[in-house]
Amino acid sequence: MIERPSPHPADPVPIGRVVATEQKPATPHQFHFWTAKETSVGIGAIVKVQEPGPVQGEAGRAGGRGKGDEGRVVYGVVTDGFAYSDLASPLHDVIGAEGDPARAAGAPTARAEIRLWTAAVLRQIPEEPLQPVPLGDVHMASDADVAQALRMDAYLHGARPTAIPIGLYTSGGLESPVYLDADFLVGPEAAHLNISGVSGLATKTSAIEFLLGALFQHFPPHRGKIAAVCFNVKGPDLLFLDQPGALEEEDRRRYDRLGVDPVPFDRVRFFAPFKADGVNLNTLRTHGDLAGAVEPLVWGLTEVLDFAEVLLNRDDIDAKADAFIDFLADRVVRRDFEDGFGGQHRVETFADLERLFRGIFDGLENAGRGDIWRTHHIATIRKVRNRLGNVSTRCKGLVTDDGPSSDLPWGRLEDRAVYVIDVANVDPLGQDLVFARVVSKLREHLERRDLGVDAVAVFVDELNKYAPADGADTYVKKMLLDISERGRYLGLSLFGAEQFRSQVHRRVVGNAATQVFGRMDGDELATPGYQVLSPATKIKLATLPVGELMVRHPHFTQPIFVRFPRPPVLRGRDGVERYPPAQDLPFEDAVARQLTRLDPGVRPNEVKDLIAGREEADVRRALGAVRRERPADLLATLRKRLGGRVAPEAARDRAAVPPLTSIPEEPY
Amino acid sequence: MSGRRDWLTALYAAGITPASFLPDASVGRLGEPDDETGAAVELIEDEELRVHPVALEPSPATVGFLDGIQQWRVVGYDGVQPIAVAYVAAAVRRRGRDGRLRTAHWEARELVVAPAGTLDEARRRAIAETGLEVVTAEVEGPVQPGQALEALRREVHRARQGLERELGRRAIDGMGETEWLVVDGQLAVSAVLARHPRALGVIKSHGAQFLEGRHLERALTVPAAHRTSVFRVRGGHGRTEVDSWYLRLWPWEGRDLYYGLIRIEIAAAPDPGARVPGISGWLLAERATLAAPDARFDRLLYPIHDVETYLRSRAPRDLLAPPASRLPRTGT
Repeated sequence: MIERPSPHPADPVPIGRVVATEQKPATPHQFHFWTAKETSVGIGAIVKVQEPGPVQGEAGRAGGRGKGDEGRVVYGVVTDGFAYSDLASPLHDVIGAEGDPARAAGAPTARAEIRLWTAAVLRQIPEEPLQPVPLGDVHMASDADVAQALRMDAYLHGARPTAIPIGLYTSGGLESPVYLDADFLVGPEAAHLNISGVSGLATKTSAIEFLLGALFQHFPPHRGKIAAVCFNVKGPDLLFLDQPGALEEEDRRRYDRLGVDPVPFDRVRFFAPFKADGVNLNTLRTHGDLAGAVEPLVWGLTEVLDFAEVLLNRDDIDAKADAFIDFLADRVVRRDFEDGFGGQHRVETFADLERLFRGIFDGLENAGRGDIWRTHHIATIRKVRNRLGNVSTRCKGLVTDDGPSSDLPWGRLEDRAVYVIDVANVDPLGQDLVFARVVSKLREHLERRDLGVDAVAVFVDELNKYAPADGADTYVKKMLLDISERGRYLGLSLFGAEQFRSQVHRRVVGNAATQVFGRMDGDELATPGYQVLSPATKIKLATLPVGELMVRHPHFTQPIFVRFPRPPVLRGRDGVERYPPAQDLPFEDAVARQLTRLDPGVRPNEVKDLIAGREEADVRRALGAVRRERPADLLATLRKRLGGRVAPEAARDRAAVPPLTSIPEEPY
Repeated sequence: MSGRRDWLTALYAAGITPASFLPDASVGRLGEPDDETGAAVELIEDEELRVHPVALEPSPATVGFLDGIQQWRVVGYDGVQPIAVAYVAAAVRRRGRDGRLRTAHWEARELVVAPAGTLDEARRRAIAETGLEVVTAEVEGPVQPGQALEALRREVHRARQGLERELGRRAIDGMGETEWLVVDGQLAVSAVLARHPRALGVIKSHGAQFLEGRHLERALTVPAAHRTSVFRVRGGHGRTEVDSWYLRLWPWEGRDLYYGLIRIEIAAAPDPGARVPGISGWLLAERATLAAPDARFDRLLYPIHDVETYLRSRAPRDLLAPPASRLPRTGT
């Protein structure tokens, strides 16, 4: 944390002076100042204008009313810069050098030059009456000035500070921590963070990793518990959050300045669906040396049925089909159900559902009762059966036909824990299902206040894909819009990232109270959404170095540039180099590996012997049960779940039966 | 000029008629004649005045440039006798190895200039209390207002020259062993400057002609990047003899005879051939940076232009009519 500003700070040497002309007047929102040619001022620098006069007291600092005759203090951020000489026409330079540029360079006298800067007002003290910026001395902002200028003093100090470090404002040798207000980052005042920038150079993922770490370490205790749910949508980006990354001395110094401990996340749980074989996990984090195992993400019928809309396309879902699916969800699934033909059902899996369908079709056929079952036409029932039956095929690995589900620990989310859901290699349909269900569950539990934490930050990359500005209204887009618009009341914040902000749904980016920009694409900056930025700021954005961001936050009246240190976690790319993904194992080996991860005391050969000759579906089902139950004796439970082995019965030799009458001489 | 309103009020209360009149040439040094009547000239480089080509030479590492400005304005009339307020200032800006000019010396004076007999003791006291200096212009008997104005102008001019001399002396005192001082105008007006081996006067106006006949013709038609032979000037206003020569910075053909023509003065020395080519080459190199958009850019060295700009930037804003004033300027 930075120190409180002194009411009478020592006056440093001015670095510039405000100038105002009729053509370029000073206004309450903008002013111009000149500096020496050699100056540390640059685009994004925060400066302070001190009007000659009595220094403002504490009342003034607090934004009280003034008469306007006190020494007004104005903070501004440099948005543009100009340099020009007393040359009236370029031709004069040509004439002076007689057309020879080399001679111009060797001229004995350097022309008088000016460095003229334009600054946008960040804050005026006193705030009332709001007046044009006085023609005073310009100083570089100090740490305390930065806090004042960005109105961070409101949440940085006091009994219940809510400041979350986002980076260091660096200018003129100054490194001042810049803080976001947690109340405006994860609710309830405002929420959501959106980060834009070109791939590779904008360091969006790194910024989010750093910010999550800072958020966990600085989230105020009076705000309760917080967790993060991160969707890993590409490569190994978020798969090594628990592993320490390489930091340089400069990074450590910045961490120290920001008051953040540079350590990887100590509570990370990874989830990934299976591959189609049902035993090898569909993730790049499969190296045997990694301590934190990836937990399977497997859902059954009950988990999926509520999200049938996600899985079935518009042509599939008409009013009738929708009504029948609702009927199944409300009246059939997880209930004891009588099908009307004497059959008793308890539907918990797709296999159970298939048995119910078969019972209905057989019953209707045998009873000759026509085409209607419980007001639903048989064609509708067949259509729903067909579509739902395909779901487990289309999302194989994520949706299981008859095995038990394996899910996030709903209701038991831990404080300061990250839950990474790896859907990078899952097909788009599966990704949609994962997004929709996880977000819905988060919302449900937060509404009921039984999630285990009070606030959740959901990180979704590639918003260009999942919440595009145009295109069809997908379920995922609806979910993201829902978080954006209602999440802050619940404590559900969306931390979204994308390459092109202009191509993300307006309500998704518009609801993000905190906007972060890394290196931007020139074409993107030419879109109307960036018109409020000066040309110089756009140029700076287009050439922003790695590790520097532009931040907009409700408390900041102008965008601020900050630098953040490298995240203290292993980058995805480095992670897969250090921990190369293991090859997919044969079925028996994969089962053995899963069990040995649950209990290192289990001997793989014993597992292999136990499952040898068993149906793979049976093994998967038993393995799922073991995973869910986590018993003390894994093998015993596995054996029990597999059931008794039925020894194959050898075919008996049949005695030859002699013909009743012999045909001694058969001609054919 | 803080407090001017106070003493003006007192002055007007004492019976002075308020006025606001900006005489011609009151904003600088425009139009001052290079009057050198009575000077004797002796050729010291060649038998007769010749023209020598000049090659570009590097300038000394450190050079100071001295110039001054004067501004004045009539603020009232005692009867028909004008009373003016004036501002004179001078500065030396030093150029170092980086080619940039930095102020080494600066001095300014604010004056109230009035014909003798127009300000009684009470009025003088009122002015003196504001910190302004009163300068009396000696006029013989009642004169026409125009003659009085000319007398005031001479006083302002004298005050400015005095300031320049003073700053020139200070600059000479503080000069390094290899440092030079370039003065805008005649070097000979100051004995200290005129005797210093590394002081240089650059004269842009040619009101006084030192030569005649074919020598004059050769001097005034010297081609670009050429100089004349050196001649020694004795007497005149300067009273200290100096060596002088003409140098053409820019081609004059197609323009005016004086276009690009400067006259240079340095302290008299026995062997002009040893230093004059180098000085001429250095001054020729000063064409770049061009002093445009100043109308005198063909003869005005950019550093001198810079000193003038500096002095004007520090001059009081309320002395002259604001340049962007929307009020039409009067014709009188």
